[in-house]
Amino acid sequence: MRLSGSSVRAYADESIAAASIACGSRVLSRSLKYHRPRTFFCFEGHCSGCLVRLGGVPNLRACQSPCTPGAEVEGQNAFPSAEIDLLGAVDFLFSRGMDHHTLMTGSSVLNKLANKVVRQLSGLGKLPTHAAAELPEVGRFDVDVCVIGGGPAGLAAASTTARAGRRTVLVDDQLRPGGSMRTDPRVGRALAEHYGAETVRTGVAVLARSTAIGFFPEDDGGVLAVSAPDRLYRIYARHWIWATGGYVVNLPFPDNDRPGVLAARAVGRLLVDHGILAGERVCIVETPAMEQDVTALAQALTGAGADVTRVPLADVVGTRGRGWITAIDTKRGKLDCDLVAVAATPAPASEGARQQGCSVVLDEHAGGFKIVTDDAGRTSTANVWACGDVTGYQGPAAAAADGARVGANVVEAG
Amino acid sequence: MAGKIVLCRCEDVTLSDLEHSVSRGYRDIEEVKRYTGFGTGPCQGKECLAVVALQLARITQQHPSAIPPFTSRPPLAPTPLKLLAKDPGAHRFADETDEGED
Ligand code: FES
Ligand code: FES
Repeated sequence: MRLSGSSVRAYADESIAAASIACGSRVLSRSLKYHRPRTFFCFEGHCSGCLVRLGGVPNLRACQSPCTPGAEVEGQNAFPSAEIDLLGAVDFLFSRGMDHHTLMTGSSVLNKLANKVVRQLSGLGKLPTHAAAELPEVGRFDVDVCVIGGGPAGLAAASTTARAGRRTVLVDDQLRPGGSMRTDPRVGRALAEHYGAETVRTGVAVLARSTAIGFFPEDDGGVLAVSAPDRLYRIYARHWIWATGGYVVNLPFPDNDRPGVLAARAVGRLLVDHGILAGERVCIVETPAMEQDVTALAQALTGAGADVTRVPLADVVGTRGRGWITAIDTKRGKLDCDLVAVAATPAPASEGARQQGCSVVLDEHAGGFKIVTDDAGRTSTANVWACGDVTGYQGPAAAAADGARVGANVVEAG
Repeated sequence: MAGKIVLCRCEDVTLSDLEHSVSRGYRDIEEVKRYTGFGTGPCQGKECLAVVALQLARITQQHPSAIPPFTSRPPLAPTPLKLLAKDPGAHRFADETDEGED
């Protein structure tokens, strides 16, 4: 494929993001306000740090787009290119922050100029080169059970309901099902593939690369809209199971957005799922809650030949590097590194369930707004259930057990 | 780059922006969203909603459970418009718009 004009060799079906990090191409775009360099953080389609223009279509996520022969990938939102960006001066000029509510006072000439510049600089990407050649028909599923999320909890829940004879559809937004199992060295890719294949064998209709984009309660008793790569599906179900897991998030420390600061789970995913060691000298910034996960990741990275240092969040005072990270500053001094992995409790992906009226509550230990459930896994909305990390972070093994348990309760409920 | 603590990477919202918002009296999560713009980027808050909400609880000394999330609206992920074009809902919308114009 071609990346910003240069030829790059990549494995078919590997994500464009994995291919570009493997070949050392890293900065893809610039942030809207300060034009700070932006690139991959999560490698799971949720942070939108990897938006690129692909084959003339803007705002596609590189980490969720498979490499295809001859694909044309370009960075966006930067002048003249994402790696060297003259507009980065905005960051320097407004080093103490820019309040866009009070910026536009003062002279009117300056206001006009500022407005013009802001219009030029903001906005995301440019319109596609061509209009869509044909418009796809909308698909439809009428099922007993719809499971949203194809990680450990969702796969276990769906295979349980399908084995009991319930018509089940599973919606997963990743390139391949498996969720956090593909990021955790204690589980790994082989087991993720095994559970994915097993779920298909039980008769579950698995929609991969498909995202639940909204629930519309007013439409025929409630419909879930799902966008697949080639079409939209309307899903009607008697029971809904949210197994969307958690989103990786960053931790608050100075210059925590520098390229080269990745989610620890992303570093795990690159190693476990893609066989890519993303850095040779890795600093893991962690909170006490993630201790066990970090221990497993640190061992795996060390085993793969990396030099790993663990730093508590409270000790971090800054980061260094032009473009890509070169060091972090800690209370004990400077630590050279070429990658920072941030381990924070993932935030429950509960916004879809919220559209179905499910109660959520903000809970620090859960990582964010967890879905509230009773012992059986019922949410506050009738016929809507939840299991796994979306009810509070628990990790792949516990999430799988939770999914199987809640799946069985759904079967029992009819 | 100056030492900014970024809470929302899509919209470049920093911890000091959040503190500023609270000091000006915008301390409800919806107000903070409108004042700072956090959560309105292409990820629609997937990366920042929990982070900002937990920091807001700390700054305003509220129990986290007292802080609700902001309203969740479709689409939950970037969606090409062409996928929606043939949905019956899109036609209903188009019909209503046509009537409105007559
Ligand atoms: S969305 Fe692709 S790296 Fe986060
Ligand atoms: S990080 Fe805040 S909207 Fe994406």
